[in-house]
Amino acid sequence: MTAATTPASTAKVTVAPAEFTFVAYDAAEIAEIVAELAQQLEIANPIRVIVDETTPLAKVYEEVDAATSDATITLHAESGALEDRKHPMSFSADTARESLGRILLRANDRMRPDFSDAPGDLDLTLEQNAAWDTYCAGRLARMGVSVNQQRWRYNHRNRFGFHDDVDAHFDQLWAASDLGWSAIAG
Amino acid sequence: MRQFFPVEDLARDERFVQTNMAERMKDGRTAIAVEKQSSAKSRGATKRLTPERHDASDAARGLMHGIMVGEIQALEGAGRTAHDFAAGDGTGDTVPFELKLDMARQAWDEARHVEISAKLSDWMGTELGEFAENTVLFEAACSNDPILRLAGVNRALEGLAIDVFTQMKEFGDVAGDPYLEFCEDWMLADEVTHVKMGSDWLRKVTANDPDRRTKALEFQQVVDKLFSFGGARGESAESSFSLAKRFRELAGFTDDEVETISAMDAEALEERKEAVRKYRERVGADA
Amino acid sequence: MGNGATDTHESTARAPFAPWDRRDIPGSFSVDETARRVGNYKWAEMKLFEALGGWVATVPELDVKMRLGTHCYHHAWHADLWHKRLPELREMKPERLTVPANEAMERFISAMTEPEAPELTIEKLVGVYRVLIPRFIAAYTYHRNNTSEITDAPTIRSINFILQDEFDDWRDGEMLLQSLVTTPEHVRRAADHQAKLEAIMVEAGGITGADSIGTGETSSTEGGA
Repeated sequence: MTAATTPASTAKVTVAPAEFTFVAYDAAEIAEIVAELAQQLEIANPIRVIVDETTPLAKVYEEVDAATSDATITLHAESGALEDRKHPMSFSADTARESLGRILLRANDRMRPDFSDAPGDLDLTLEQNAAWDTYCAGRLARMGVSVNQQRWRYNHRNRFGFHDDVDAHFDQLWAASDLGWSAIAG
Repeated sequence: MRQFFPVEDLARDERFVQTNMAERMKDGRTAIAVEKQSSAKSRGATKRLTPERHDASDAARGLMHGIMVGEIQALEGAGRTAHDFAAGDGTGDTVPFELKLDMARQAWDEARHVEISAKLSDWMGTELGEFAENTVLFEAACSNDPILRLAGVNRALEGLAIDVFTQMKEFGDVAGDPYLEFCEDWMLADEVTHVKMGSDWLRKVTANDPDRRTKALEFQQVVDKLFSFGGARGESAESSFSLAKRFRELAGFTDDEVETISAMDAEALEERKEAVRKYRERVGADA
Repeated sequence: MGNGATDTHESTARAPFAPWDRRDIPGSFSVDETARRVGNYKWAEMKLFEALGGWVATVPELDVKMRLGTHCYHHAWHADLWHKRLPELREMKPERLTVPANEAMERFISAMTEPEAPELTIEKLVGVYRVLIPRFIAAYTYHRNNTSEITDAPTIRSINFILQDEFDDWRDGEMLLQSLVTTPEHVRRAADHQAKLEAIMVEAGGITGADSIGTGETSSTEGGA
């Protein structure tokens, strides 16, 4: 494992594996990116990042073992989620920031009381997942992380339909910043 | 202008980064289950590109970008074939005049496909050059024998296009996307024409040269297997898209040909798994 | 008219040409001269579509790349129209007349297609859209206006379709050039290349040689009623 701690935060970030075999990623660089995001979001919980480098897919999900400030946040990422898509097997800080930032926001949401009935990431329906992604991507964009809004609009439309009211729903979630689970799940 | 144009010199603006099959095959990662079982909690265990996949939108975007750069290379390939061979009786490095005209027509069609793909990329939130461009498609159009180009491009590459567009069309239909299905269907119609061009010219130009025909069909098989992309095309649920048998039939592929391609796809999948296993043993990583 | 028509039966006899149909027989070109010109047109359109098709892979600009592919087809179709017209002009072996007007025209095409490097998009477009296509427009216009409207109607019909493409393609190419030529250095490059090609074209006289637009040595015989 490789660890990082940001100067003004107590979030301790560990990354596994410490050494990558199939991809040219650096665990310390990943830890630093997550620590910076944690600082921006004022998250002080310990954070574990687990990267599955055996697959080029890009699934990401998070787990929080309790809704407390000392609960460990675990971020799971398939290697494609951190990859430079122009240079396969190479790392992209921008892509990593966007992927890990999204699930860090989710983890942060889960620690709110009004998310106590939110299912685990792997138990979400496709629609719930898409709605939450839209909500997180919008906030990430406002944090200054590079996010392609049209990409998330397309994702939202694929799940909910290609209609004006779906676009309106997307716009609402994108612009929101203080929602509970029931507002996202609909 | 040179008669033949090498793949290394394909002109691109700075947004595009090119790679090739050799580089792609160095990737020790795979989405295919090599040894371990799929996770019980895994969302969307199928690799087939359908809206039910958890990563459906991003997978579709990636495939759409692949289609776009493929169309750029098909445009370039058709343009080169219109240029590279003098009009003649089809012997040596001449081609019939009408074949040159068909290649020019194909260049126009592929230019339209680039336009369509660029618009769809916008629609799907994909930036031009967002993904690496595999130049294997243009490489199939580089042979000094025009008949091998027809076999590689008009039968193998356009056959692949039929498979991919059919998958994307179905994807768009199920997702209710008003543009994706419409656009893929129009492109599919053109690809059926291109395959027929290839079939007809291959037959006509090699009518009195069975050796040349055999060589062309062998080359087509090599390219067909390359275009399985290690089992990404296939009948198995581990493959992203399948052979579009009905449209291939319309385009003039025989049942035997389709079965041969299907068998090669399955073979390619197993070869890829084996290659990944061996790579992992070599680097000593846990599977 | 002698069929003993009754007062109620109207005559259907009309003049063969309606009052507004002013087409007439005389034209500047014999069948053989027309075939010669058409052969030159076909050769030049072929060279052009080959060049455009070949250049697609060499230009990095995506919009130019796609336009070249589209225009490649336009000129291939023109070559096909001429290929089909030649047997109608008694040339049963079209390849016999599918030749450049003269040696200078061959040199012109060679010089026009010489730029290949990816940074030479301006030169490639200048050769086609500021030199060759304007020459096509001129030669086709001259031919259309001087050939017999009645005896050579099929050639005129093809020219009309072709000229529509030539004007549209010229506009596309000129607009692309205007968007690419943005510095004094670009202007110099464009002008130098155009001057170099124009000099060769002047030697050639035009797509069909000296009499491409009727201002050089006459090589045709007058046709007439």
